[in-house]
Amino acid sequence: MNATRDILAHVQRLPAFPASAARLAELLHDERAGAPEVEKVIRPDPTLTASLLRMAASAYFSPRSRPETVRQAVALLGVKRTFEIATGAALASMLPARLPGYEMEARSFWLHCVAVGVFSERLAKETRSQSPDLLFTSGLLHDVGKLVISAFVQKEAPSILLKARHGMDFSAAEREVLGVDHAEVGAQVAKLWRLPEAVATAARWHHRPAEAPAGENRTLVDLVHAADALAISLGLGCDAGELARNVDPQAFTRLGLHVRRLEHVAGEGLQAVKELAAALGEVREAK
Amino acid sequence: MSSITVEISDLKVSANPDDMIITYALGSCIAVIVHDPVRKVGGMIHYMLPLSEIAPEKATEKPAMFADTGIPELFRSMYGMGCDKKNLVVKVAGGGALYDDKGLFNIGKRNYTVLRKMFWKAGVMISSEDVGGAKSRTARLWVGTGRCTIACQGEEVEL
Repeated sequence: MNATRDILAHVQRLPAFPASAARLAELLHDERAGAPEVEKVIRPDPTLTASLLRMAASAYFSPRSRPETVRQAVALLGVKRTFEIATGAALASMLPARLPGYEMEARSFWLHCVAVGVFSERLAKETRSQSPDLLFTSGLLHDVGKLVISAFVQKEAPSILLKARHGMDFSAAEREVLGVDHAEVGAQVAKLWRLPEAVATAARWHHRPAEAPAGENRTLVDLVHAADALAISLGLGCDAGELARNVDPQAFTRLGLHVRRLEHVAGEGLQAVKELAAALGEVREAK
Repeated sequence: MSSITVEISDLKVSANPDDMIITYALGSCIAVIVHDPVRKVGGMIHYMLPLSEIAPEKATEKPAMFADTGIPELFRSMYGMGCDKKNLVVKVAGGGALYDDKGLFNIGKRNYTVLRKMFWKAGVMISSEDVGGAKSRTARLWVGTGRCTIACQGEEVEL
């Protein structure tokens, strides 16, 4: 399909991921890398420094003490958490004002990303499943494909919306009309930006956990699927598709999730979602 | 006219006839919209969950998060502004659901069921409602006139 080819070509035209965040991604794979190496990447980048300190001051990331320097932040949070915050700040800095195909303002898109990041981690805690690596980042970036596909969705909005309003999952409608959906495009973006494999996996399968091949990180995909469904259901970052999303019951069975657990996570997590969305929103507006 | 936004897990009441109270993106959450045409007072809650027992501490901080703590708070706020129960016009919107055959995500339905039970016990009549479906709704209430609209799927209709 021509549309599919055009969309995938557009992935290549996305701006590069900020260099310091990309460098941190590389450090994650380097077992010898520790706090001093991480610090060296962050300190020359004033924007990243400011965002890291702003985020590290939130109760979500540092419930006990507030780090005041990059060194303290890295020591307190560790390499992985620092990377997770850096990718959040990097994404925040790249968001356009509006995603027209989804009829969504940046603020609303952002609220949704943060909600899925926070809920993914809370659901892992709730189900006492071991939290998969980079769960927060995988949740935060699950919809990154929307940045690319939005303009194409806008062109075909009447056909996609017609299908979605007659019982079809919104991403399935994207696939039917455009030949590819925001989930697959998101996985391509994650690859282009050389983000860890977990991010691409969660992006690719978050609407279709049942179809993820056996070798994939099943718990990660299930958690992001459930967190996304919860955020959409609660209206945290609503888009043109409204509530037209499928829920995969098997993902919930595997996780041992039922409605009361979902409600508990929503009740306990809402404040953190609002707080983090506001903090990262400041990062975004400072650009 | 100034507009007052009701965030998720929040409620607002106004006696200024020039105000319009609005809430966005009601998915499985529910808005209860109350108007007193005699006193010209309007109020709205956007609650997220049915029962506060799920997170009692949150209910103390934010009673409007739950139906069982938030709805009584809304009515108390209306009475506090001199409204009389018999004059109140009560409307309800939201309670939507994802495409979810197994009912895993029936938060919307549970939100609605608890509301109906509470209203039945308290003798409150619902004058009109727009609930359920895979919809995300925006609700508006004009305090001066009691006009109420619901916007969803690209259309805005009177409630």
